[in-house]
Amino acid sequence: MRKTSVLICLLISFLFGFSQSSKLPEVDKSPMDVSYYPNNFPILKIQNKATEPLIARVFYSRPQKQGRKIFGELVEYGKVWRLGANEATEIEFYKDVKIGGKKVLKGRYTLYAIVNEDVWTMILNKDTDTWGAFKYDSKKDMLRTDVPVQKTDEVVESMSMMFEKSATGISLIIAWEQVKVTLPITL
Amino acid sequence: MKKFLLATLVPVLFFSCNEPEKNPAGNDTPSKSQSPVKVLPPVTHYTVPDRSPMDMVYFPNDYPLLKMAGKTSAPPLMRIIYSRPQKQGRQIFGGLVKYDVSWRLGANEATEIEFFSTATVLGKTVKPGRYILYCIPQETKWTLVLNSNLYSWGLEQNRKRDLIQFEVPVEKTNLAIEYFTIACEKRSDKSTELVFLWDDVKSKLPVSF
Repeated sequence: MRKTSVLICLLISFLFGFSQSSKLPEVDKSPMDVSYYPNNFPILKIQNKATEPLIARVFYSRPQKQGRKIFGELVEYGKVWRLGANEATEIEFYKDVKIGGKKVLKGRYTLYAIVNEDVWTMILNKDTDTWGAFKYDSKKDMLRTDVPVQKTDEVVESMSMMFEKSATGISLIIAWEQVKVTLPITL
Repeated sequence: MKKFLLATLVPVLFFSCNEPEKNPAGNDTPSKSQSPVKVLPPVTHYTVPDRSPMDMVYFPNDYPLLKMAGKTSAPPLMRIIYSRPQKQGRQIFGGLVKYDVSWRLGANEATEIEFFSTATVLGKTVKPGRYILYCIPQETKWTLVLNSNLYSWGLEQNRKRDLIQFEVPVEKTNLAIEYFTIACEKRSDKSTELVFLWDDVKSKLPVSF
C-alpha cells in the first residue's frame, strides 16, 4: 500500500518533471480527512435526512502508526502536538458552544493538544491556516481544558476523529494507537 | 464522513488478499500451537482513510507553510478543499466523468472554495465567502459553477443555488495524470490560475484579488 503510493508519487513527480514547469502537489502520506456533527452531514443533507443543523466539523490529517510506538515517543509527552499531521488541525463551529466551561463563538479555530500519559490538555487557538504546531503561540489561545486518557481495546492504525452525541451536547473523540480522549462540547 | 461499511469491508479485503500469500510457503498444516481457525483482523470502530484522500490548496501557495516560516503576515486569499480520485487505468472524461453532466470536481464531499477577499474571476466579481465549486465538463470546454449549497455530498447539485458560472477551455496534457489535482499557478502576488488536472485534461480558471 505504502509502496504503491510512493511509486505513484514518484511517477507523478517524474511525469511532471517533464510536463510541468511548476511542481504539482503529490498525494499526502498522511491524508486529510473531515468529520462532522451530525456525522456524515453532507450525505444526510443530499438525502434530506438531516434532522439537526450542522454544528461542527474538524479537518485533520491522518498519520499512521506503522508499527511505531506513538505516545511518549513519536508524539512526545508534555509538548504541543498538532493533533494530526501536516497543516494544524482545524475545528469549526457553526453556532456558539461551550468548552471547559468557557464560551466559544462560532467560527474557525486551530486545535492542539499537549499529550501526557494520563491527561491531555486540549488547546483551542485563534491562529488558523498554519502548519503544524511549530509556530504555536499561547497568546492566541481561546482556552485550554484537560481531558483524561482512556484506553481502547483495539489498536487504531490511522489517527481518527469523530463526533458523538452526549448528554450535554456533543463530544469530539480522538483515537490513535490505544489511546482515546473525549473532548466535551456543550451546546 | 465515510460509510461504516467501508470500515467493515477493508479487513475482509485484507484477509482475502493475504490468503493466497500464506499457501505458497507450504505452511498449510497448522502446528500444534496454532489454531486451525482462521481469525479475521478485528473490525475497527474507527474510520479508515478514504480511497480518494482529501486535500487542501491555498493561494498564496502553501500558505500554512509560509505562515509557519514567518514569511507572511497577511491573511490567505483563497482556499480549496477537495478529494482526489485516481485514474486507475480508466478513461475519465467522456467515460467515468460524463460530458454534459454536473461533476463534483473531485470525490466524496462537494468541492469547497473559500475566498477570503473579494475576487475577480474572468471579469466577474466574487464576494468573499465560502462556495461549492462544481463542473459541467464537455470535450472542449468546462463550465465551472459557484453554488451556495454548502456542506453537501458531491453526487447531487442543487441547481437552484447556482450563483455564478464560468466557461473555460480544455487543454490536453502530454501525459496522463493519475490523481485528480487542483493547484494554483501563481501569476503575481495577487493573481493566480486555478488549475484542474486529471487524465489527459487540464483547464485553468484565472482568479485575481
